Amino acid sequence: MKRFLLDRIDRLRDHLASQRPLFTPQGNDGSAELNWLPLTRETPPTATGRPRLPTCPAKQFFFPEREILFRFDGNDFKETLPKPTPQILFGVRSCDLCAIAYQDRFFQQDPYYQARRRATLLVGIDCQIPCDGGFCPTVDAGPFVRDGMADLVCHQQQDEGWLLMAQSAEGEALLRGLDLKAAETSRIDQRTRAQQQVIARFPPATHIETGIQRINRAEVPAGQWQALGLQCLACSGCTSLCPTCSCFTSYDRPAADGFERERCWDSCLYDAFQREASGHNPSATAGQRVERFWFHKFSDEYAKTFGRYGCTGCGRCEKTCPGVIGVHSVMKSISAAP
Amino acid sequence: MDAATHNISRIINTICPFCGVGCGIGLRVEQEKITGVEPLVSHPVSQGKLCAKGWSTAYAVDPIDRITTPLIKENGTFRPASWDEAYRVITEAFSTTIAQQGADALGVIACARATNEDCYAAQKFARAALGTNNIDHCARICHSPSVAGLRQTLGSGAMTNSINDIEKADLIVVFGCDPTENHSVLGGRIIGAKMAGARLLVIDPRKTRLAQMADLHLQLQLGTNIALINGLLQIIFANGWEATEFLNSRCENEAALRARVAEYPPERVAAITGVPEEKLIAAARIYTEAERALLTYGMGITQYTTGTNNVISISNLALVAGQIGREGTGINPLRGQNNVQGACDMGALPNVFPGYQEVAEPASRARFATHWQRPLPERKGLTSLGMTKEALNGNLRCMLIMGEDPVVTDPDQHHVQRALEALDLLVVIELVMTETAAMADVILPAAAFSEKEGTFTNCERRVQRIAPAIPAPGEAKPDWQILGELAGRLGYHGMAWPNAEAIFNEIATLSPLYQGMSYPRLAKNHGLQWPCNEQAPNGTSLLHSKAFSRGKGRLIPVSHAGPAEMPDEAYPLFFTTTRLHFHYGCGSMTRKSPLLERETPNGVLFINPADAQALAIKPQTKVRISSRRGEVETRAVITDEVPPGTVAMPYHFKEAPSNRLTNTAQDPVTKMPELKACAVRVTNLEAECK
Repeated sequence: MKRFLLDRIDRLRDHLASQRPLFTPQGNDGSAELNWLPLTRETPPTATGRPRLPTCPAKQFFFPEREILFRFDGNDFKETLPKPTPQILFGVRSCDLCAIAYQDRFFQQDPYYQARRRATLLVGIDCQIPCDGGFCPTVDAGPFVRDGMADLVCHQQQDEGWLLMAQSAEGEALLRGLDLKAAETSRIDQRTRAQQQVIARFPPATHIETGIQRINRAEVPAGQWQALGLQCLACSGCTSLCPTCSCFTSYDRPAADGFERERCWDSCLYDAFQREASGHNPSATAGQRVERFWFHKFSDEYAKTFGRYGCTGCGRCEKTCPGVIGVHSVMKSISAAP
Repeated sequence: MDAATHNISRIINTICPFCGVGCGIGLRVEQEKITGVEPLVSHPVSQGKLCAKGWSTAYAVDPIDRITTPLIKENGTFRPASWDEAYRVITEAFSTTIAQQGADALGVIACARATNEDCYAAQKFARAALGTNNIDHCARICHSPSVAGLRQTLGSGAMTNSINDIEKADLIVVFGCDPTENHSVLGGRIIGAKMAGARLLVIDPRKTRLAQMADLHLQLQLGTNIALINGLLQIIFANGWEATEFLNSRCENEAALRARVAEYPPERVAAITGVPEEKLIAAARIYTEAERALLTYGMGITQYTTGTNNVISISNLALVAGQIGREGTGINPLRGQNNVQGACDMGALPNVFPGYQEVAEPASRARFATHWQRPLPERKGLTSLGMTKEALNGNLRCMLIMGEDPVVTDPDQHHVQRALEALDLLVVIELVMTETAAMADVILPAAAFSEKEGTFTNCERRVQRIAPAIPAPGEAKPDWQILGELAGRLGYHGMAWPNAEAIFNEIATLSPLYQGMSYPRLAKNHGLQWPCNEQAPNGTSLLHSKAFSRGKGRLIPVSHAGPAEMPDEAYPLFFTTTRLHFHYGCGSMTRKSPLLERETPNGVLFINPADAQALAIKPQTKVRISSRRGEVETRAVITDEVPPGTVAMPYHFKEAPSNRLTNTAQDPVTKMPELKACAVRVTNLEAECK
């Protein structure tokens, strides 16, 4: 792994964009939103200071909301495997990078996902200030980019300039032609110390820690899940924005010359997600579905399979939930239970 | 589309096409296809949240099933036709009818899902191009009583306050609606306010989600709203809890109201409504004690033969308690469709021009005649139900329906179908083949909300711009353009607008409510709330703060009258209609989502466990529901959300059309049909098999 000193982060951005299509969070049409969009001449400089997460995580780049799996013309099945052109995601935060690593495991055998994933180079940025609602340190997902999660990692140094770390051969290769100085080894220690200072600035997350314990000890009474379930409108917002949520369904739809099978994002908060043909539903009530969702996010059982919890502390569910049962609300509620 | 890459090419910020809350959504476009949505965190109403419908928008406008060319019916089947041929067929039929029977033999139905510009064009087309006031739209069957009732009492029929007021109230009253299902983002804000400490009072025959969270739930019998409110007013006056100063300075006709509500003592009201006396007293107390009480209501108030009087009694209650004219208070009807407020504002109603200027007023007629350069009809126009009735009588011969599906959404389906069959020519402007479009002689393909410019007005009177994300498929185009071209063929050239903005500018010129608005100003402010004019250049978030639109608030005594059809021996159960979070109107958009469709594939009947047990009905048992007008079959869901003796069905499903059962008995003022109450019999079909 090589380390360099970089004066301006957008010198790197421009250099990479000259080689491959590059996507980075920005407001479309100069709006106050933050979406993953292609770099254009109008794209503002990469923001520093208090980080804001893009509204949606990067998962749709690899696991699109809707995707044709194959076509059938009445006689033959036609393959529709993607043949993506190489691309770069620039400015991915640590929580979202951990989520990509999580989905890499989930979709290990999925050729559609893997084709897109292999064509994509990830450039991470360390978060220097806690973001609003984020709690990545509590779930071991940030604030600094973990080793091996990105091809290139950018770290804004306290004195000045950036520390640029190449974590893959492909990442390093793309730096060719960029005028960079090698960074001293001491910079790594400085970065480690800087992360401790950033972590100290996060508000306490004891409700998350206690909530995780209660979930794993099965200490949350069913009545409390029912009360929380009453607030679940089954909108699918949390699962749409959760960077690790990967459930999908598929359905056949008529196409020009026969049928095509499309797979699309699903949501376990829908009544029919688990409903069986007989009408029987293992998660028949909204309370059971809400419980199941949070169990998947915080259970030690799943952590064994995926090497981490299914929550990366981004806080998007809290912001998008119309029923006020995102992660902070739920964990506060269940950690306060007797 | 080739599945080779999935690179996001752009995101277009626009407004959600579903309910009247008007949330902000970004349409994600990949390779000229809308593949998903992102919520807008900077939007003042939705603040980064969406409901299940909003999240499914990409399916709703999916090119699959879209009508892409004009279609003409020949020997019972549709064939593609050129625009020229379609226009010729329509022009000939319309001109012949006008020559034979006059313009009042034609009728136009505008659409609460279309833009203000489309609705403005529709009413101008009816009045100026055809020469009839026969123009209406589905506000008839949702909030026409709000417009009629609140205009009499306050002078304006719209939501008095703003959605942001929800967090400013210390009591929220939810009357006859379930905003967590139909207006979910707004409903969510009520949940948030409740969790932050506001009190919640729910008045509803159903044990809705909010009723289960409420501090107090008055579970009244269907169709007893006026008795209940008169009862609350009797308690308030009897205890001296009324807002005396407010009544003296800002209201009129108090004595008459006092005299009438004196006839409604708690014991009588408890007997009529089924609500215990102590709960009535508690509700009257908390509503008058609250510093700021915000009242919101829906179809549970309006869809009755007493709809207008129900609205008047809501108004009486707010006025007597002084819970109006301040932030965090008010009377807030929840508008069902994305632009039903705008369709009313545009005068897509038989009795008013844009901005609620009366057709009956010679001065406003003259003003529009001058501007539109056409003499305008004086004769009162027909409502949508008036049109179907006159079609059966042979007095209405041709209809143009823009984007509505009355065969599914209007009461008494058989009546609607017979009426449409009786027409000489039915023209439908649509996105997809709805049940109504299937009955048309000519179908014209329309552009969807995601394919055109325009504005929607949400329920808090916020006029917001929408933006095209992709081109319309095939030959589809915006409704206003279709109507403009058709008007030209009929010899009226006052609708040849170059773009939607030109229409909006015409609206701003003619409607005092929209006077201060323009496309650039709307874009800059996330929309503006009307009235927006010289006195209020930045719009108005709160109506009636100093005086009511009509001057003094008028208290109007009204009396209880039960539903037109009550349960009896032959039809022993009360039947009511509802909506589901997952679906919108006739389902033509939301049912294209495989996920939403999977939730309730064939419609559903909600039945109380006690009634289910009596009929040996189990979960998902196949049932038949019959009324005096027809019968439908569906599956049962057993829930105590409906009270014993009352069953409920959502109206979204053409396979199980609840409107085959509903009653066309109407509110005498607005012709609102009584969609919320009729009598039915439920049969267990699986028991029959055995």
